[in-house]
Amino acid sequence: MVANPRAAGAARAPRRVNEPRAALVEASFDGTPWQVNRQAVAVVREEWRVVDRWWTEEPVSRRYFDLVLESGENVVVFRDEERGGWFSQRGA
Amino acid sequence: MIACIVIPGFELRAALRSRPRLALRPAALAPLPGSQPLVGPVTAAAEAAGVRPGMRLGEALATCPPLVLVEQDPAEAEHAWEEIVRSLEEEGFAVEPAGLGCLYFETRGVERLYGGVEPALKRALAAVGPAWESRAGVAERRFAALAAASVARPGQILVVSDKRTREFLAPLPLSLLPLDEARRDELEQLGVRKVGELAGLPGAAVAERLGPGGRHAWSLARGEGRGRVRARRPPVDIVERLEFPEAVGNELTLRRALGALLDRVLAHPERGGREIRKVALSARLVGGGSWRRTLTLREPMGEAARIRTALGPKLAELPAPAVALGVELVELAESNGRQLELLRPEGAEARTRLREGLRQVRASAGSGGVYTIVEVAPWSRIPEQRALLVPRDE
Repeated sequence: MVANPRAAGAARAPRRVNEPRAALVEASFDGTPWQVNRQAVAVVREEWRVVDRWWTEEPVSRRYFDLVLESGENVVVFRDEERGGWFSQRGA
Repeated sequence: MIACIVIPGFELRAALRSRPRLALRPAALAPLPGSQPLVGPVTAAAEAAGVRPGMRLGEALATCPPLVLVEQDPAEAEHAWEEIVRSLEEEGFAVEPAGLGCLYFETRGVERLYGGVEPALKRALAAVGPAWESRAGVAERRFAALAAASVARPGQILVVSDKRTREFLAPLPLSLLPLDEARRDELEQLGVRKVGELAGLPGAAVAERLGPGGRHAWSLARGEGRGRVRARRPPVDIVERLEFPEAVGNELTLRRALGALLDRVLAHPERGGREIRKVALSARLVGGGSWRRTLTLREPMGEAARIRTALGPKLAELPAPAVALGVELVELAESNGRQLELLRPEGAEARTRLREGLRQVRASAGSGGVYTIVEVAPWSRIPEQRALLVPRDE
């Protein structure tokens, strides 16, 4: 795998793959996204929850959506229910 | 002459370096998980409260209820010991380490350098550092040097002349001799408690009763057997470490991490293509503590796959999940040549091309441009926990 060495964080230390990235998401009253990064959502393909590590000081509670945007692009976004905010993530 | 430097309770002192306040309180080194429940070295406060090294854990806690058990930190102890040995080597002493907290060297080479035995020994104790409360013994014989260092006070240099060796050894306890516990108990039951009392027995009777080990101890007690000092070769310093985002106990994941670490450590330019003779595997454990295993390979080798096969089974000995894993090349062989195979193994051509391609990428993107993906928790439900990007420099 080849990474961009000029990018921030291209340091010599190991780093995680598929880190979540902040996303601009507009959601309807039931929490389903209808716009992601200013592109309308065409189809919600799948929805699931991940609740994990509740026994630690860093619990994880996420609501994931597998979406197809109007441009045809396939994205996976989630709402972080512990800290708030929307993120997109590959490899989910 | 032979000099010996001893640091009593070295493992405890090393473990207390990160918690210096405990050194003034009753504390003892805890036994390793799975070993006999006996306490290790103890602090002066614990000794004053009646706790002795080698006491049963329950007895020690009953004798001194506020006793603090200090978890063993073998990796930190080895690291601290290596620092000491290296600082002595930098001062010109050709050192033979004999376990943690004990080392020997010949004074012949350094006497002229420092103007005598005592100035050389003072220099050596200064190189070790006053915090360790080391003590030195010098004698013509190795065992006498060890005995002198063992009874010296912190910072003291005890010189035993050859003529007085037997007289010096006579009142010392039997525990100084390399005898196993059962043999020592047997001797004590026979009323032999001092080195001099053993030395006074007929050699043939000792050999008959105690076997070859007893005969050897008897000859040491008589001040015989000079014993050579074999200075070590300073080790190479090629280390690679991998920190995990969370503790890993799964052997498969640890083996994958080991594979990535071996690729990185073998790619160090300092290795210069030389093969590896001795390698160490270390881990920092969850909840503190560390673990370390050193392996001398059956023959020097430089192939990651063969070293992985040799080191892999050691991972099963990890006493707890690890938060970091490290591989260290301890000793390299001088040769870098080897008889090649008649037929190249399958995949060798593809690997050569891949390596060449990566070298090309590195040349254009610079160091830190190539990474390997190492799966650390592929079963995790949290996607970013599944794999790590590990820099790969070759």
